[in-house]
Amino acid sequence: MNIIKISIKKVLMIFLTLGIFSNTSFAQKLSIKEKDRSYLVQPGKDRINKLRKSLAKTFKNFTGNEVSLIGSLNLAKQNINDKGIAAPVNYLYNSVNSNIFKPGFSGGFRLDGIYKEKHLYTFGFAVNRISSGSNYKNKYTQSPFLEEYTHFKADNKFTTLSLAARYKKLLPINDMKQHKFYAVVGPSIDYRISAISNDNLLDGATNRLIVNADIGTEFDNNGYYVLFAHYKLGNNLFRSMAPIELNRFEIGISFKMKDIF
Amino acid sequence: MKNKYSIIFLSMLFLFTSACKKDLNQVTSTVIDQMIVNKTWHLDYSIIGTKTQSFVGQTSYSITYFKDGTTKDSDGLSGTYTISNNNNGKYQIQVKGTSVNGNALNFTHIIESVSDITMVQSFILKGQLTKTSLYFSSK
Repeated sequence: MNIIKISIKKVLMIFLTLGIFSNTSFAQKLSIKEKDRSYLVQPGKDRINKLRKSLAKTFKNFTGNEVSLIGSLNLAKQNINDKGIAAPVNYLYNSVNSNIFKPGFSGGFRLDGIYKEKHLYTFGFAVNRISSGSNYKNKYTQSPFLEEYTHFKADNKFTTLSLAARYKKLLPINDMKQHKFYAVVGPSIDYRISAISNDNLLDGATNRLIVNADIGTEFDNNGYYVLFAHYKLGNNLFRSMAPIELNRFEIGISFKMKDIF
Repeated sequence: MKNKYSIIFLSMLFLFTSACKKDLNQVTSTVIDQMIVNKTWHLDYSIIGTKTQSFVGQTSYSITYFKDGTTKDSDGLSGTYTISNNNNGKYQIQVKGTSVNGNALNFTHIIESVSDITMVQSFILKGQLTKTSLYFSSK
């Protein structure tokens, strides 16, 4: 047992020493190519630096920004009102209706910071793969046929890009130093990037933009990671012949980029 | 610089909101076609005015629409069909065919409603005021 411990320690020491040497040599010696590059005019790099400075000047009140990677599981259900559809197309109600929440997933980035050293905020950017249950509000019959129908069939699997801006409030739970609980609230926007089926295009009913109201809680474990649970209530941003109300629960985790890379 | 950001933001907003629009009539015609194609539609009911006649459980008229745009019915008619919007907000199916005897036989029916298993077509015969509705099922 002792032999194994000693050998593990030795291996670790070797890695540590190699790491230190490699870092020092990298920091001290510049290659000829790198030296040449440092003397050359670099318009691209200068432009980026200029933009960075300009951004810092414009957003000077947004401080303490930390970028994190996020991943989450989503549960989604959409309520569909097809009253405005005039196309002579029917879908069997029982074959399209599923009044349940279905699972999807999301991944992206978020930026946490403080506005005017007082207000905590989060900006999020994510790609969402939504799989959704569909609850159709209206049923139609067509005597003498016995079946029940809807006039619209909403896509229940789609991909969106989302942007979120949320206000964070530290909750007075626990010691508030190591384990922090936050309440979050704010708007978000989803833009559908996946292809839209013809069924979903009837009477121009489809709408790529969804605007959401988000509310949720977050738990920060000493800055190591953040666990979050959000509820999102979404509606079509523009008027639609078949308005859709998208309900989503989002449960996920985020890690700071600097801790990962 | 603020103006620059505003221009970028507005351009992105315009890009996201101005999605390319498909021809809605074409979309609806395609969806209808997908629903009726490669199925044999059996006449279950015919309603003339208020009079309903049922053919359920009996050997009745049937018609099949094929993926290549051709059609055949139980009376021996064969020909082609097209689905289009009649500019009055209604969709119609136009059949151009020939009968068993080789005579030209063309008709146009309004598609009142269609699903994967049911279809209602209607028409008004020349000289009549009442509408005839044909209720088909593909089961």
